[in-house]
Amino acid sequence: MSYLSARGLVRSYGRTPALRGVNLDVEEGEIVAVTGPSGCGKSTLLHCMAGILRPDAGEVTYREHRIDTWSEGARAALRRTEFGVLFQFGQLVAELTAAENVALPLLLAGTGRREARTAALSWLDRLGVADLADQRPGEMSGGQQQRCAVARALVTEPRVLFCDEPTGALDSLAGEQVLGHIVRLAREQRTTVVLVTHDVQVAAYGDREVMLRDGVADPTGLGTVAAQP
Amino acid sequence: MSTPHVLLGLLADGPKHGYDLKRAHDLKLPRAKPVAFGQVYATLGRLARDGLVVPAGQDRDAGPDRTSYELTEDGRKALMEWIAAVEAPMPHLTSVLLAKVVVTLLVGDADQAREYLAAQRAAHTARLRELTGVKTDPDATLGDVIAADFGIAHLDADLRWLRTTLDRVADLHEEVITR
Amino acid sequence: MKPWALVRLALAGTRSDTARVALTGLSAGLATLAYLAALTVVAIPTVEDNGSRVSPQYRHALIAEAGLRPGVVVVLVLLTIPVLALAGQCALLGAPSRDRRLAAIRLAGGSPGQAIAIAATETGLASVLGTAAGVGAYFGGRELLHRPGADGKLPLPTDVVPPAWWIAAVCLGIPAVAMLFAVLQLRRVVVTPFGVVRRVRDRPPMPWPGVLIIVGLVITASIVPLSRQLEGDTPALLLVLLFLGLACATVGVVAGTGWISYRTGWLMHRFGRRPATLLAARRLMADPWNGSRTLAGLLACLVFGGGAAGVRSSFATDFQVEREAAERSAPSGVTIEPRDTDFYFGAFNLINIAIAVGLVIAAGGLVVALAESIVSRRRSYAALVATGVPRSTLAKAVMWQSLTPAVLGIATALAVGVGLSRGLFGDASRQDSVVREVPVPLDDLALLGAGAVVAVLAVVGAGLLFLRASTAIEELRV
Repeated sequence: MSYLSARGLVRSYGRTPALRGVNLDVEEGEIVAVTGPSGCGKSTLLHCMAGILRPDAGEVTYREHRIDTWSEGARAALRRTEFGVLFQFGQLVAELTAAENVALPLLLAGTGRREARTAALSWLDRLGVADLADQRPGEMSGGQQQRCAVARALVTEPRVLFCDEPTGALDSLAGEQVLGHIVRLAREQRTTVVLVTHDVQVAAYGDREVMLRDGVADPTGLGTVAAQP
Repeated sequence: MSTPHVLLGLLADGPKHGYDLKRAHDLKLPRAKPVAFGQVYATLGRLARDGLVVPAGQDRDAGPDRTSYELTEDGRKALMEWIAAVEAPMPHLTSVLLAKVVVTLLVGDADQAREYLAAQRAAHTARLRELTGVKTDPDATLGDVIAADFGIAHLDADLRWLRTTLDRVADLHEEVITR
Repeated sequence: MKPWALVRLALAGTRSDTARVALTGLSAGLATLAYLAALTVVAIPTVEDNGSRVSPQYRHALIAEAGLRPGVVVVLVLLTIPVLALAGQCALLGAPSRDRRLAAIRLAGGSPGQAIAIAATETGLASVLGTAAGVGAYFGGRELLHRPGADGKLPLPTDVVPPAWWIAAVCLGIPAVAMLFAVLQLRRVVVTPFGVVRRVRDRPPMPWPGVLIIVGLVITASIVPLSRQLEGDTPALLLVLLFLGLACATVGVVAGTGWISYRTGWLMHRFGRRPATLLAARRLMADPWNGSRTLAGLLACLVFGGGAAGVRSSFATDFQVEREAAERSAPSGVTIEPRDTDFYFGAFNLINIAIAVGLVIAAGGLVVALAESIVSRRRSYAALVATGVPRSTLAKAVMWQSLTPAVLGIATALAVGVGLSRGLFGDASRQDSVVREVPVPLDDLALLGAGAVVAVLAVVGAGLLFLRASTAIEELRV
């Protein structure tokens, strides 16, 4: 069985189906890009696989454990310890400094304050934003904020990193730097990455690409699913 | 192509002979198609004929191929004009990809065209990933990066076109066969 | 912008923001009821009866005696202040759809002032609905409550109607005042074409409001000595002084909560160990005035309540001293008929009821403010939950950030209230040779404090409901 896998995932928002039976297998240490036009269900797939959302039907397994049936508390603990999550923007707490934002997951895990700050500073340094440690998100550029968010997602050294359009709000150069950091650090740590994007240039940072269309996987890329409803 | 002007540019900082020129070309444009010796000598001959370069001497112990060339005043002017001239942005919308789709629809059907487009897209995507890998390589020089960027931007454009054309193939087929 | 365009745009949101509109309407309706009740009391006709002016058709002295009615009117009118503040505060309720709508209006070329005007007009329109409902409830209530007793006396002045133009003035005035409060509340909100930004002052608060509290206490304490010195007939001046002292102390307590918030935030940040305290500490330090703004109504009620408890304690001691003195001076064998104090304590009970109602209304405003603060941070809350931060941690943070300034503010408010009453009436009561210390009314204060803390806890509980909705994963979508 794969490291992380989705089997026949179905999920609807009200009467609108977002996923209509998606399968996806991700191996350990792999960087998989999930692409597709907007509304194809790729974000929903990521949310289900990361245990943020519960699918209406289907299974999500992570290292041989079926996680979609776990309680919200258990899934939250899993996200806190084994998974890292990175969104497009707006994920930092506005009132906390960069270092405090990055240290937050460690504090939640019960790490001491000083130790957490040291770890946070070293991660900020690895992302080239050590000099921003005591600034608030409002005082940083989008790219700097996103690098802090990467540091926060990786500070717990997660096994899997889920990225949902991580560069969607950045210009191409800032986005490139963020992606470069993600890929480099993921390779160093042997972190598995699920990268959701609509941008083929971003998807090219992955080892392979999985295309989604209208809530199902589109392995041939023919788009015939839509053509033959 | 622009090989004559590239050679003129490589000669701008002093005389070189054919072998040096080839090496300089492949070094400065690392990810371009390497230029052949024969092409270098043929180009130098044409440039000399037009008075843009002149022989500047010969290595004593070498044969006639070891002639070095230098820029003339005319050559420098031609180089500067080339640098300053704006290239016509895509004057002709010709591409093998475009031609293949239309021809496939003439001789085959929409499914065949779609299969070709999907296969082409897979190939493009693979190349895009390869170039992205060049960029994320810690040893990449800035020269590598901007060359990779150039390819990535063009592949991205092609991929967008492939994506939308895939969706338009059925209608395009109608149009191609009825006209 | 033409008025019709303003109204049209203000109406655009009424469907999506039902909760806010309903709450605004409700508070406007309550204010209308309170004003109409006050006006009814004012309109009661009086007859001369042995030199005292009375309206004998009523059962209760508070209504029947013309001299006591102004007190009733003042209490009723004071009650409408937190109610109207609540209506205005509803304009702050950061309904996301309204924020988007206002931003879209700015993007379409509206000026910041126009966006605020539209938001205020929404409040105004909702208040018109509420006012209409309030007028309906008033006339309905008159019919229902018109129950003459066996002696033909009425429990409430249901036989009087204030002049029509008074009613009209209330109907127009309440929406206008609600809009005014809304504009005041929105003055720190900047509507940009890209969204709604809440500006916060970044200078840390200083402890100067403490000076204001002391000034208030000094003014109040100087009233009695001053009146002895002046000896003349100067009740107007003394009333002004009393009002000034009360106002200084209340503003001091409310503003001082900003400093308290900042300091407790600082201490929590310094010594806190858990993520929840870190989050709460940073929130308190980032916007210390939030406590002042949101707790203002509650704290004002408590200053008043603390004062009333102190005054009640003074009166009780006075009555006791009076009786003891009378007993001592009376010849033996004569039983002293104790003075009938029911009237006074009845009045105090009424005041307590008014304070309780004020507390409940202030708590309503607190719910709105807390919900607003949670909803406006929904994106980062949702992201935190997605990264595995338990909702309980966020809930604890909200609890810390609401409760610490509230508890300290409540304690300060009660202490200042008692201090005011003791400044006014002294800390001892003497008559002839009998001297008794006025006890600090610990029972009453504890009751008030506990009531206020329970109200804040209930508010936090209600706010946590918004937290659940605000951390839904849908909030992460753009």
